[in-house]
Amino acid sequence: MIEVKSITKKYGSFVAVDNINFEVNDNEIVGFLGPNGAGKSTTMNMITGYIEPSKGKIIVNGYDISKSPLKAKRQIGYMPESVPLYNDLTVNEFVSYMANLKGVKRKNVKQEVDKVLSDTGLTNVKHKLIKNISRGYKQRVSLAGALVGNPQILILDEPTVGLDPKQITEIRDLIKKLGKNHTVILSSHILSEVSQICEKVIIINHGKIVAVDTPQNLENKTQNDNTIMVTVEDKNDKMKTVSKKLKNATSIKFIKQFSDGSSQYLISAKADTDIRKEVFNVFAKEDITVLELKKSENTLEDAFLKIIDDKDSNLESSENAKKKAKAERKKELDKMDKDERKLAIKEDKKKAKEEKKLEIDKKWEEEQEIERFEKEKKQQLKETKKEIKNSKKSKKTDEDKSSTGKSSKNTSSKKSEKGGKK
Amino acid sequence: MWAIAKKEFKQYFLSPIGYVYIGIFLLTCSLFFYLDIFSYQSTQFARMFGSASTVLTFIIPILTMRMFAEERKNGTEVLLLTSPRSVTQIVLGKFIAGALVVLVSTLATFIYYFILQFFGAPQFASSLIAIIGFSLLALAYVSFGMFASSLTENQVIAAIISIGFFLLSWFLPNIVTSLSDYSLMYAFYDSFYAGTIGISNLVLLLSFTAMFIIFTIMVIQRRKNVK
Repeated sequence: MIEVKSITKKYGSFVAVDNINFEVNDNEIVGFLGPNGAGKSTTMNMITGYIEPSKGKIIVNGYDISKSPLKAKRQIGYMPESVPLYNDLTVNEFVSYMANLKGVKRKNVKQEVDKVLSDTGLTNVKHKLIKNISRGYKQRVSLAGALVGNPQILILDEPTVGLDPKQITEIRDLIKKLGKNHTVILSSHILSEVSQICEKVIIINHGKIVAVDTPQNLENKTQNDNTIMVTVEDKNDKMKTVSKKLKNATSIKFIKQFSDGSSQYLISAKADTDIRKEVFNVFAKEDITVLELKKSENTLEDAFLKIIDDKDSNLESSENAKKKAKAERKKELDKMDKDERKLAIKEDKKKAKEEKKLEIDKKWEEEQEIERFEKEKKQQLKETKKEIKNSKKSKKTDEDKSSTGKSSKNTSSKKSEKGGKK
Repeated sequence: MWAIAKKEFKQYFLSPIGYVYIGIFLLTCSLFFYLDIFSYQSTQFARMFGSASTVLTFIIPILTMRMFAEERKNGTEVLLLTSPRSVTQIVLGKFIAGALVVLVSTLATFIYYFILQFFGAPQFASSLIAIIGFSLLALAYVSFGMFASSLTENQVIAAIISIGFFLLSWFLPNIVTSLSDYSLMYAFYDSFYAGTIGISNLVLLLSFTAMFIIFTIMVIQRRKNVK
């Protein structure tokens, strides 16, 4: 289980990751999507403890990555995006080194390494130097380095980049298999891959989470119009007039002309109506030959692009509005005479200052609230611990009172209790 | 810590660096053995190290320049920093590997002692002290070289920083005499070279080594927040 709580990472004034919150449950495969520079790798680097967040908390299987980093890192196998490897070691040496680093017991190292190598299909290049193997193999060596030691959580930054199609399906199958008893976070540019493997998708843009959902839901969400695509041969040029005869169609859009004389159109219809039948019948009557007719489906790709575009345009429009307001104000100022302008400018500055103050106050209050919340949580934890202790004590005294005769039985039951708790 | 030390030690001999260091070191040692001892027909084994210590200025940086700079450049430091090993363990592992190479090659100079013994009667105790002192000096250099390597991702710059520093600590006391108490080279010359162990000199060498190991740990730890 990974809990990411209001993580922010700033580089100077540039905000790479902006107040991100999400959770990944046990045995779940989560896909990280986003355009280049959206903050995917930065977030992954923070979860693995490679870089420290400027603000916020990351808890991995109950261990805070900043407070008890060694315990938290022991839970994680990380495959970085840049595939860093020691070029003058052999594949076997590298994976053994990673096993040693992760504290695999010495007698188990060989067995563990062999298992991982065969899982990732590296057994036949085992004794080659890493600098001499191809990019695809390097990718797999990096993956093997993450898998060795059998960590509970796997974080894979673009695991299938640079592989050939056969290797890609192999690695995907491997990840799916691992996902049954591991928690996996993977980032990818290939959306079909994400929709195939992942149970949950997190889409990031400009350092902010824009959507968290299952791939199916995301696809459905963006499917708002009911359209079909037709390819027709239209010898008598009747496509222009046919729209009147299609009762349920709302629009017919020309898309492209093919070299063999046929052309492609997009027909939108009212929601909840299937106009395929109607289109076929009407076109037949009008002597338009239908070569191809299909319902256009929304893929995750569409969903992704739509979500990203929406956010981008929102950002842009808000910026544009600000610019417009500024320009208008300037015009107003130009109309006034000197003294008035001075006063107005002063007032503007005052207003801006007040707004800033309000913003800072708001932020401060939010932080205060979070702190209070955490304090309360801690208090609760303490109380529950106390209660548990008390109940244990009372149990003990009860047992002591009742069990003068059966003392031997009692101790054995206590032992089993302790064992169970561990 | 030992996993890292083992791999680092192995890596010195997978690349030419380990061989280059040991080769140059032993070559210059034999040269000084001839020039300082053989041609004077002396039996003072320590004299060889008087000249050899100046060579350390140039060859220790060869050994230490890649320690962190290369990892940073290749991005392999991610593997170290995301593994369940603390920064202290990582730094100590690397230091131990470098120190081992230096110690092994220093111990090899005992060959010259046996040659000397064949022809005359060198004093064992003073020879041993000289070797110990020389090793301590070399370790102090290794720890500074490691620190320099952690500052940059360019190996050449790391080497230049350490050579520059060693040269300064060698020549600066000639100009500013008050600094001579703090010079590593002088700490070696003042006592170990003459066959005695001066407490202040011993403390200087050891604490210098420890200080720059700690500085390296601090540099690596800090980069987590800046990166």
